[in-house]
Amino acid sequence: MIVCVAVVGHQNNPLYIQSFTEADDALKLHHIVHCSLDVVDERVNNPKKSGPLLNETFLGLLYPIENFKVYGYLTNTKVKFILVTTDLDVKDADVRNFFRRFHAAYVDAVSNPFHVPGKKITSRTFAERVSTIVKSFGLTSAV
Amino acid sequence: MVREVAESCVDSLLTEMVASYCNRFYANKPELAARRIEAIGYQVGHQLSERYTMERPRFSDHLEAIKFICKDFWTELFKKQIDNLKTNHRGTFVLQDNKFPWLERISIDPSTDKVNSAEDDSLTTAENKAASTISMHLYYPCGIIRGALSNLGITCAVTADISNLPACSFVVRVKA
Repeated sequence: MIVCVAVVGHQNNPLYIQSFTEADDALKLHHIVHCSLDVVDERVNNPKKSGPLLNETFLGLLYPIENFKVYGYLTNTKVKFILVTTDLDVKDADVRNFFRRFHAAYVDAVSNPFHVPGKKITSRTFAERVSTIVKSFGLTSAV
Repeated sequence: MVREVAESCVDSLLTEMVASYCNRFYANKPELAARRIEAIGYQVGHQLSERYTMERPRFSDHLEAIKFICKDFWTELFKKQIDNLKTNHRGTFVLQDNKFPWLERISIDPSTDKVNSAEDDSLTTAENKAASTISMHLYYPCGIIRGALSNLGITCAVTADISNLPACSFVVRVKA
């Protein structure tokens, strides 16, 4: 179950944070997302030889914390997408698929002429698309 | 569902945009008009680069990003690539396009039937006027390139050089 998704800009400024649990733990999720930024920077600056390719956008599992898993994705424009989930058996392909669709939604939101780059994304359409993507996460694996 | 627009519509829109800013909004202040047009190009380039770098792996250095602009970005915008790329390996890149699509329809009036020493001044002023009008049209693509590069993390200044139309060179100076 996805707990939270976040978009963080290239100066580590939050552009969009949305949690999908009923519990009121927004602060904890903010903190988790913030910590994961350091891991993203570390992954990008010190590539492990056995790890993913240097220039890949999908960064994979960043780190497990408590009962959450945190996945990261870094675009060419240094915008980071963070996904926090409580699922235990998450498939790599599912997460990649999720990030691909999330990236498409993000690009559409940023192409809005009324959106100011660097400010938070306030588009309702983007929020709806994100919740659709989140709801269908993991369900396609049944095919 | 992708909606498409005829290329002639885009051409007309750009011509009208330059004409509006130069003749109506900032009628006697060409520098302000130029800055505004370049700022519009900057925002467009910023958003376009976000879209066109979607599926690609990240760039390792400045040269890779400039090559992306020359090949994929230019192909998306104009269905052709930059014809020639030169660099001095110290932060300056020259992107040369031998047949820049947005300048294709602009006529270059030679005025050769009036070559007369008494009218030399008017000839040069006419040439200067033509050159400045054409350079107004180039602020927009300069802005696009600057916006795209800044979104990829490269701060730069972009100017255009129109010494021989319809070929057009864009000089990119990366701020170290």
